[in-house]
Amino acid sequence: MSTLNIPAKTSASSVSRSDGMKKLLSRILLWIFLLVVAAFAVIPIILAVLGSLKSNLDLTTGSTVLPQEWKFGNYAQAWSAANFARFTWNSVFISIFTTVGTLLVSTMAAYAAARVNFKGKKLYIVIQSATLFISIGAVVLRPQFDLMVSLGLQKSLWGVIIILISAHATTFFMLIGFVRAVPKDLDEAAYIDGCNFYSVYLRIILPLLTPAIGVTGLLVFRGAWNEYILPLVFTMTDPSLQTLTVGLASLKYGVGDAAQSQLMLAGACISILPMIIVYILANKSFMQMTAGSVKG
Amino acid sequence: MNEAKRQVNAWVFIAPSLILTLVFGVYPIVWALKYMFYDYQGYGEAVFIGLDNFGRMMRDQAFWESVVNTFIYAAGKLIVTIPLSFLLAVILNRALKGRHILRAIYFMPTIISASVMAIVFYVIFNSYNGMVNQLLLKFGIVNAPIDWLGANYALITAIIIAIWGAIGNYMLLFIAGLQNIPEDLYEAASIDGAGPMRKMWSITIPMLGPVLQMIIMLAITVSLKGYESIMVLTEGGPYGKTEVMYLYLYKLFFPVSTGSTSIQQFGYGSAVGFVTALIVGMVTLIYFYISKKLNDVY
Repeated sequence: MSTLNIPAKTSASSVSRSDGMKKLLSRILLWIFLLVVAAFAVIPIILAVLGSLKSNLDLTTGSTVLPQEWKFGNYAQAWSAANFARFTWNSVFISIFTTVGTLLVSTMAAYAAARVNFKGKKLYIVIQSATLFISIGAVVLRPQFDLMVSLGLQKSLWGVIIILISAHATTFFMLIGFVRAVPKDLDEAAYIDGCNFYSVYLRIILPLLTPAIGVTGLLVFRGAWNEYILPLVFTMTDPSLQTLTVGLASLKYGVGDAAQSQLMLAGACISILPMIIVYILANKSFMQMTAGSVKG
Repeated sequence: MNEAKRQVNAWVFIAPSLILTLVFGVYPIVWALKYMFYDYQGYGEAVFIGLDNFGRMMRDQAFWESVVNTFIYAAGKLIVTIPLSFLLAVILNRALKGRHILRAIYFMPTIISASVMAIVFYVIFNSYNGMVNQLLLKFGIVNAPIDWLGANYALITAIIIAIWGAIGNYMLLFIAGLQNIPEDLYEAASIDGAGPMRKMWSITIPMLGPVLQMIIMLAITVSLKGYESIMVLTEGGPYGKTEVMYLYLYKLFFPVSTGSTSIQQFGYGSAVGFVTALIVGMVTLIYFYISKKLNDVY
């Protein structure tokens, strides 16, 4: 018995050892794969940050990844000489008012659509979803621009803000789900306590929706901050109204000699870094909302 | 509660949303549907010309080349993005240490503006002295610098940038879909002795069916519509090699940059816009039917 047992045991343990080796190897391969993709995601941003601290010569001819001399002055130059202070202000202005406006318009509509079976509700929902699916590209910008000319808003940031707010269908559909999740009993109780349609919105729905509003607001803010083509079209004749995205891209067409690559990267970082900071603080919220669109 | 009053109140709350949508969302489409039958340059009088704009489009070689480029661009982007993001989703849906950090890292590119990143990539992919070429040369991967934004590589570069921006987004959508699959199905399969591949084909993919179909459909339309980063990166050049249909369309209405001019052709542009939207719609429909058939087979 014992003589039979020994070989059986050793073969079993050698099998498990090679199994362990296999497991370890596949774990290593898995992590190599994960880290390579992570590097692919992060390296362009790191190169942008490092490049923004190089001199133009170092950036275009140097062969080191790290700057030979750390040029923090690039940021000062971009900020004042290349007008990025102005661009940043414009971006902040557009993003804040677009976010507030979009949230106001969408929470009101979502509240009404979730709570009342008003006449024409189906048609309203169809129109909202149609704007999500039909895309004729830049064509719409032309009549939108003409509309703003007739309103006298084509030379102010409000034209851009109003059009961005008008594209609130996604936010509306996200919020209507959240409003539906608020129990109707709360409305009823509030009505008994003397609330009306408006005060229920202000005192019940909005406070209970705060977390959802925060998260959807983040997405709207990101969209407005990153918007390029709309502000480009509206500020072509007036550079003082340009946003970070537009002002940055226009550096590519800078007058005169060689493009100032280091300024382009410094400008890019001025646009990217605030979003990254917000993302580091609130990445769960960003991801939760994106994922939410599938779970629906 | 007074029902009539409730109706009025609801309409007061819907009104801002509805008016904005009708004025800035619906009216522009009606505008385009009208002017696609007109010869209209943006000034002077618009002349009704029937279907002439569509005849012109048939002969417009530059437009059809842009359609072909769009398909290459979209296919190139999707062939890499969908399998890669799916794989990442499957891996990161498991109890892996550090999965939350990895998810956050992969998702990070999606929060950055496409146009801003196009500028960054423009600098680091720069033909002879960009950082990408410097690195490739340093590690001996290439002997001579690659002309990333030249005629041969520009479209590939644009695709790489698109992939960079898209992986995290689709990974997250796939993870959301995977989390809807009940865990006990996998446990039952394990008891029956199913390996990881078997579980993938017999549980994950069929259970993900409709979600998978929806995500891929979304990915197709998004990649056919994207033109912002190409517009900043190459403006469609060199020699129209990266001209995609929505960029071609844009140029019929507005200049690409403050310095350049555009040949404003609003009538013809409206017709192109209509056909472009139709092409996207048709591709989506075809995909929808094929994937539905495949779903039925499973």
